[in-house]
Amino acid sequence: MPDFEIKDLRVSVEGREILKGVSLAVNKGEVHAVMGPNGSGKSTLSHTLMGHPNYKVVGGQVLFKGKDVLTLPTEQRAKLGMFLALQYPVVVPGITMSNFLRTAINAKRGFDGKDKSKAISVKEFRALLKNEMSVLRMDDSFLSRYVNEGFSGGEKKRAEILQMAVLKPEMAILDETDSGLDIDSIKFVSDAVNKMRGPELGVLIITHYTRVLKFIKPDYVHVLVNGEFVRSGGAELADWLEAKGYSEWVKEPAKAPAALEAK
Amino acid sequence: MAFTKAAVEELSALHGEPEWLRARRLDAFGVFEGMSLPDTRRNEDWKQVDLKALNLEAYAAFQQPNGLAPAGTLENVGATLRQRGTSPAVASIAPDLARRGVILMPLAAAASAYPELVQRYLFSAVKPERDKFAALHAALFSGGSFLYVPDGVTVEQPLVSQFWSGGPGAAVLPHSLVVAGKGSRFQFVDQFLSSDRQEATLASGSSEVFLEEGAEVGYVALQHWSVKTWQFANQRFHLGRDARLRMVDVALGAHLARLRVEAILEGPGSSADMKGLFFGTGEQAFDFRTLQDHVGPHTTSDLLFKGALRDQAKSVYVGVVRVEAAARGSSSNQANRNLLLSEKAKATSEPILEILNNDILRCSHGATVGPVDPEHLFYLESRGIPHPVAERMLVQGFLGEVLDRIPVPLVRDAVEQELAARIE
Repeated sequence: MPDFEIKDLRVSVEGREILKGVSLAVNKGEVHAVMGPNGSGKSTLSHTLMGHPNYKVVGGQVLFKGKDVLTLPTEQRAKLGMFLALQYPVVVPGITMSNFLRTAINAKRGFDGKDKSKAISVKEFRALLKNEMSVLRMDDSFLSRYVNEGFSGGEKKRAEILQMAVLKPEMAILDETDSGLDIDSIKFVSDAVNKMRGPELGVLIITHYTRVLKFIKPDYVHVLVNGEFVRSGGAELADWLEAKGYSEWVKEPAKAPAALEAK
Repeated sequence: MAFTKAAVEELSALHGEPEWLRARRLDAFGVFEGMSLPDTRRNEDWKQVDLKALNLEAYAAFQQPNGLAPAGTLENVGATLRQRGTSPAVASIAPDLARRGVILMPLAAAASAYPELVQRYLFSAVKPERDKFAALHAALFSGGSFLYVPDGVTVEQPLVSQFWSGGPGAAVLPHSLVVAGKGSRFQFVDQFLSSDRQEATLASGSSEVFLEEGAEVGYVALQHWSVKTWQFANQRFHLGRDARLRMVDVALGAHLARLRVEAILEGPGSSADMKGLFFGTGEQAFDFRTLQDHVGPHTTSDLLFKGALRDQAKSVYVGVVRVEAAARGSSSNQANRNLLLSEKAKATSEPILEILNNDILRCSHGATVGPVDPEHLFYLESRGIPHPVAERMLVQGFLGEVLDRIPVPLVRDAVEQELAARIE
């Protein structure tokens, strides 16, 4: 049985069916890429897996550690070891990154505000962050800033990966983590993700473009179009998409950025 | 009737006040007698205020002296004034401040000790004719403080006044008079507290603050009356040339807490930063009326009132930005943000702009009313933070922006604890 399994998942948003029965199995140690054109249901998939309230599950199951996570509230999915790096990380004024990270780490450790022995110590917290932040080329000033407030696009995405690094999930979903990033940020983010790869982590990278897959090599690639998987394969499928785009399935400019570059 | 001329005379005698002040009180009492309660249907300034359950007859004119302020000391403050009801005050001031001419004393005592100063400023900003409650306050004010910082004096540590009501059934009307000399710099914390969380009183912690040329003043008013208190308070700030005001209002108590806050930017180049913080529970109602009055040229004001409401609590915010004819090159911002933590909590917000000079740099306003942002909740919960913790963090974060502006850590911590208890 796979470690993480999506079975015939159907999801609707505002009464319209977006995911029309998708199935996917991810084992720890594997990196899967889900690729698709705009409007194919990529974000719906990532948000549904994490339990965002705007997405209504119409059918199917998502099995992880013997549980159907679709029946669990978001916080428990996270506790179970799931993590979602958002495409558009939310600005949360008034809460510092430091407070946010510490509370999340403590929640994972089962600290309920009472048994202080379960809470992370200041020293341990510093040490943990210092290491991860250097990989992501983030300086200490991030910690005293409000969550994502005034962060550049690249800083936001790096902050997402920092959260992943300190929370150590077993199943990570990276939703368009590469979008809007300059090439340096893509490198830092990819380095950090590659460092985390290993037998204890399954990764689902959701992306429109193949660029990030040059830095994080996927084991499997799945193409999502109109709420259904239309093709699956190995890393070579990404190269094929790089050349052909999604034109086989949808009418869109085959390679929008490349076409622009040609001019 | 509880409020009589004899009561005014009795109170004035109790405080041993000079004749001029007794005469002023009696004049104000005449105004009070000549006015009726505000018409909450026709009077624009009182619309949305529910006075039906208010019975003025139920209150004694003032509290008899009945005990001293609770014991306790604040650290790292320049001076404190602690009072309870009409009892004598406990005051302490750093010797070095006293030597430099800084005065912090009960207002009634100041009327005798510094008659010229007090006579010149008292009720020149908040006039008794304003409404029946302002007239009552001017006739029967009792307790409160007089703070004077001479020209050019900088006070590093905050100055603190703490006033406790002395028990139920009476009018509790402390008044603060603050005069900031030219180029003076200081922070003043003005606390209005109930000795008993359930006592029924009619209260107003009102203040008049005068900033002379180049003065830089921080003013924090903390209102924490009992939940059975009716409060009708006025704060008015007059700013001279290049004066800078940074003020924070914290409203936690009262059944109905009405507060009028007015910054009059008369001096060219003066600026006012105005923050408000409130948290309503149960059936509390808040009513804020703010005025940013740009009289002089190149004046700046920035206002942010933020609050959270749960249970059936309500708030009304009406904010006027006025740019007068001479106020060219002025800049103004006004924002009111309301967080609703229950289905029955309710907030309304109304900005009013009166622009008489179009040669202004900026005039912006915004209001929001709504629950905790579900996207924020999702984000925190997706990191494994349990729902109640996430909600508490978000409310604290929302209020933190204003909370962090309270300069005395002990006071800030007390407010933070009270807020935390209300969030639970």
